Amino acid sequence: MYLAPEGEELEIASAAADFIADALPIERLHEGAGPDMGADLRSALGEMGWFALALPEDAGGSGLSAVEHALFFREIGRQCGPVDVLAQALAANLAQDADVRSAIVSGENGVALLMPDGDAHRLIGPANAHHGLLASPGGASLHELANTNVEPRAALDPANSLAVIAGLGPAAQTLDGPLIWQLGQVGTAAILLGMAEAALDLIVEYAKVRETFGKPIGAWQAVRHTCADMAVSIEGARAQLWYAATALKEARGDAQAHLDAAKHLANEAAIFATDSTIQLHGGIGITDEHNAHLLMKHATLLTRLFGNRNELLARLLHAKLED
Amino acid sequence: MDLRYSDEDRHFRARAREWLSANVPSEPRPAGGAIASQFDRDWQKKLFEHGWAGVAWPKEYGGLGLSGLQQVIWYEELSRAHAPVMHVSTTYVALMHAGPTVMARGTEEQKAFHLPRILSGEALWCQGFSEPNAGSDLAALRTSGRVEGDHVVVNGAKMWTTDAKHADWMEMLIRTDPGSQRHKGLSWLAFDMKTPGIDIKPIRTMMLDEHINMVFFDEVRVPLSAVVGELNGGWSTAMATLSFERGLGFIADQLELFEKVGRAIELASELCGPDGRPAIEDAEIARRLAAIKAETMSIRAMTLADITETDRTGMPGPKGSMMKLKVTAAHKALTRLVSDIMGWGFFEFDGNRAANLWTHDFLWSWVFSIAGGTNEIQREITADRVLELPRSR
Repeated sequence: MYLAPEGEELEIASAAADFIADALPIERLHEGAGPDMGADLRSALGEMGWFALALPEDAGGSGLSAVEHALFFREIGRQCGPVDVLAQALAANLAQDADVRSAIVSGENGVALLMPDGDAHRLIGPANAHHGLLASPGGASLHELANTNVEPRAALDPANSLAVIAGLGPAAQTLDGPLIWQLGQVGTAAILLGMAEAALDLIVEYAKVRETFGKPIGAWQAVRHTCADMAVSIEGARAQLWYAATALKEARGDAQAHLDAAKHLANEAAIFATDSTIQLHGGIGITDEHNAHLLMKHATLLTRLFGNRNELLARLLHAKLED
Repeated sequence: MDLRYSDEDRHFRARAREWLSANVPSEPRPAGGAIASQFDRDWQKKLFEHGWAGVAWPKEYGGLGLSGLQQVIWYEELSRAHAPVMHVSTTYVALMHAGPTVMARGTEEQKAFHLPRILSGEALWCQGFSEPNAGSDLAALRTSGRVEGDHVVVNGAKMWTTDAKHADWMEMLIRTDPGSQRHKGLSWLAFDMKTPGIDIKPIRTMMLDEHINMVFFDEVRVPLSAVVGELNGGWSTAMATLSFERGLGFIADQLELFEKVGRAIELASELCGPDGRPAIEDAEIARRLAAIKAETMSIRAMTLADITETDRTGMPGPKGSMMKLKVTAAHKALTRLVSDIMGWGFFEFDGNRAANLWTHDFLWSWVFSIAGGTNEIQREITADRVLELPRSR
């Protein structure tokens, strides 16, 4: 029993942190980089094998688990990384056709995430994606978008493109069972955790240097105590995510319940931390040049994916737990 | 990361579960007074005699010398078996404060005298840290100890002392260097409550009980040999005491909360609201229950993460304060929610804890977020030691 990254897990987390901070830094969103990954970055990530951490080795993956998948997406979250990185990784785990899968794993063909929206679908990710990935707790499907009318929309969250698809074509590939949904829950919870941690780091660093009334704002209890509350909420979300990802890796009978709790707590921690970081920064916190609003907008979107509050809590209420 | 228990862990859990199912007292703990503390002594004595006392205490001090994880398993099984609750027991200060402090800072003589008595339930302890003008700001304490030959003569008053009337010993923090300020010149004493010259005045609480007290000292003579740790070095000893409390002191509450949520869900399925439907069919109540369940799951995950880290490093980390903030918030939310589920039954309370556990627990939620370091102090500690923010004081 051990519930923190250790050994090779630490090495993978550290390699992911370095790679993503270099290839996909949050500053890109101030420097005119567009939303989503873009084809070049997708190929670079594919070449490093980042989309296939949890994919078995005989399917062309690294043969690792939900734990490494979580560690990677936490680093994606720290840099406010786009949702299509996750869609790409989920599609790699979904595709059974070797050629389709290999073009996804390598980053040659892009994948965006589909979300039901009444009779239509929303597409989160590039409008020119090769595939759209649609997931539910019972199964997932991959849809080719080549002959589909994708209608781009304005996007609140600058990290992702947003579009509407009125008539989604039939699935090209499907996978029954909860695997894709569960990896999606681990991924989104990890991204939200990374964002919450980044939001706390932002205000803690600022609170050491910004002065009011002759002392650093971090010496005022109004600021200190909210930061402490953010840290407590993040600590709980992190411990629960490590528990849930490990439960999935070990195929425990209560993994789904722990995943639902982990996603719920990550939703809450990220909303609280990204809200509070803007507030505690004061005026600079609402400016476009700051990172705080980028984190808040991205977190608000991610809380809708792979289980919103009501869906998660409804499933959790009567779920049985093991020792 | 892994969630697997060793064969030893599983075997220990099975043995604990089996023993508890046959040995947990069938009658509830009396609400208070001498019969309650006698109940606590008896239960501790039974644990001691059957080899279950001091699960994580080192073997050399009479404990079982097991891992932190096995201690977690023990507390989980206690909660599951509805065994007498740690945080309302008069054994708490002895087992969670005084014992570990004497182990860490006491002389061989003090260890040989106190530790077996604590483990067997023979010696109950109370705490004499806070004073009328020194609570959160503990270093402002003024109760004095004048050193005269081989004795210390104590004058002053201690406040909020739980179970002072039934305790045999007090862990007492006083100012033994008359000219000293703040953290300097203090001493930590193992004070015998039978010493002449003390006067105990109960304080009635909003739970309608009198478990906490003021204790007055008028020219009370204590042998110098009662000092644990250095004379005039008591702040360091007291910080050791509090580090035990902040590290593991709430572990029983953390794990018990997990059980309580399950009981609240059962209650919400049984009890009907004013509209005649089971309370759980109300979407808002169902969501609040599930949200608290998620919180308690994360508290359990934090506990396991913390304890397995401590098992590896041998040192408790700085996260105990964060744990207390999380546990007290979840406890408050749960008992408030149960007040909504229970309807009018919740208001039928006459101060008897055993007769109305949930209402007592609701009132207790404020004791919990104030005692053992208020939540405001826990936020200060978190800001200082976890976030390393500039000091506020």
